[in-house]
Amino acid sequence: MVFLTLSCWIRSRGPDRFWKVQELLKHARHFKGRRNRCYKLAVLAVRRAFVYSTKARKFKKRNMRTLWITRIAAATREHGMKYPALIHNLTKCSVQLNRRVMSDLAVTEPRTFQSLAKLARARQQEGFRAALGDGTEPPGVLSRVMLQ
Amino acid sequence: MTSRGTPSRFLRSVLQNGVGRYVCQLKRISIIFSKKSQSSLGYVTLTVCDYGVASVTNVFFIFLVFGFQSLQITFLVFPFQFSRLAVNGNTKEELITNKTSQQVLEVLTKLTNQSGLDIIRIRKPLHTDSPSIQGQWHPFTNRPPSLGLIRPQNQHAE
Amino acid sequence: MSSFSRSAQQWATFARSWFLIDARMQPPGKIATMCSVRLQGKHKPIYHSLSDCGDHVVVINTKHIAFSGNKWEQKVYSSHTGFPGGFKQVTAAQLHQKDPKAIVRLAVYGMLPRNLHRRTMMQRLHIFPEDELPDAIRANLTEELPQPRDIPRKLSEYTQEEIDAFPRLWIPPEDYKMK
Repeated sequence: MVFLTLSCWIRSRGPDRFWKVQELLKHARHFKGRRNRCYKLAVLAVRRAFVYSTKARKFKKRNMRTLWITRIAAATREHGMKYPALIHNLTKCSVQLNRRVMSDLAVTEPRTFQSLAKLARARQQEGFRAALGDGTEPPGVLSRVMLQ
Repeated sequence: MTSRGTPSRFLRSVLQNGVGRYVCQLKRISIIFSKKSQSSLGYVTLTVCDYGVASVTNVFFIFLVFGFQSLQITFLVFPFQFSRLAVNGNTKEELITNKTSQQVLEVLTKLTNQSGLDIIRIRKPLHTDSPSIQGQWHPFTNRPPSLGLIRPQNQHAE
Repeated sequence: MSSFSRSAQQWATFARSWFLIDARMQPPGKIATMCSVRLQGKHKPIYHSLSDCGDHVVVINTKHIAFSGNKWEQKVYSSHTGFPGGFKQVTAAQLHQKDPKAIVRLAVYGMLPRNLHRRTMMQRLHIFPEDELPDAIRANLTEELPQPRDIPRKLSEYTQEEIDAFPRLWIPPEDYKMK
């Protein structure tokens, strides 16, 4: 098998400027209008795009967290609680699930999320039950009293 | 640089039979070289024993193709993954022109350790084909659909 | 994924619900908040701003909404026709007189995000000034949302026995002159 491609590549390299332009236009080929073929315009557009993508790496984390929180809030309200109450009471119960996992649970495993909401609900009303209740525990929730 | 437009795939186990289970993969290795050319001396001096030590767990076949009077040396690995029905017939070529026996051994070890899946960007570190066991959320998961027509409230009252 | 096939699951997850809200004696802002959450789909755990997962909302009895305070006289709706001297200002009472749907519609429109989906979401809002609904819409309804405020009873709705039984702190004398 004769493999000549590499040697042809080496021989047929054009002027340096051509390759420099190609290197840059490689990143601009999907842009709109003349920015994807004119070097003068592409330089500016590519530079801007890189700046955006650098900033976006930080924004992505922030936006994803916002989205998770929106989803958890929506799922929590279906169970008659509010988002801050859920998170606060789960933290007090030492449930160390992060928001990504909890939003995934809310979509894919709704029963698991329901049990989380129940747990937070029981923890939230623990003080009221101790003060006003008859000493019974809410059904289906394991609490510290029952564990002892 | 944005990853838009670059090829990508999801994380996948080789045999699609569960992540983490090791299944020995049969690989066929064809080595095409010239006995006389100077640039192929690296392979000629490499013994099969060296390679066998490097990868004890792999079943491998080496086809020595003699008699080619070519200057180029190509090293071909065909990893075949036998699952129940599907065969992943990916091929991978590596050049071993002008390489010493040590370098050839390194290439050989690297290829035998690869799974045969495409080496491209993996979109997420987690993937599953069946994400939901309890059934995915839908609008009536947590509130049962009301039966019959819904009337405005004042008509309830009347 | 137990009893559903995958495409049926997909259809079930992204199914659109139709909510009914009765706006009789309710503050328009509270009604609009409930509407805008559901029109955007923010009450679903599958929410994504680009996935167009909003629901339909039907608001009835918008003619009988209740503003608090002096908003009927002092809340001003401004618009500009674009022509010179075309700046229009009407009070809430005048606007409501002209179009009983307008106050709720403007309140919801103002609460939706300012993007290209805004008009699409507004098209899923169905407002009716009275409580008569077309049968096509009535057949779609899946749930009625509870009203945010309790409707106060008028004096005319109390029976004479209830009025007599109401505890009185002070009984005016015979010659007391009521203004």
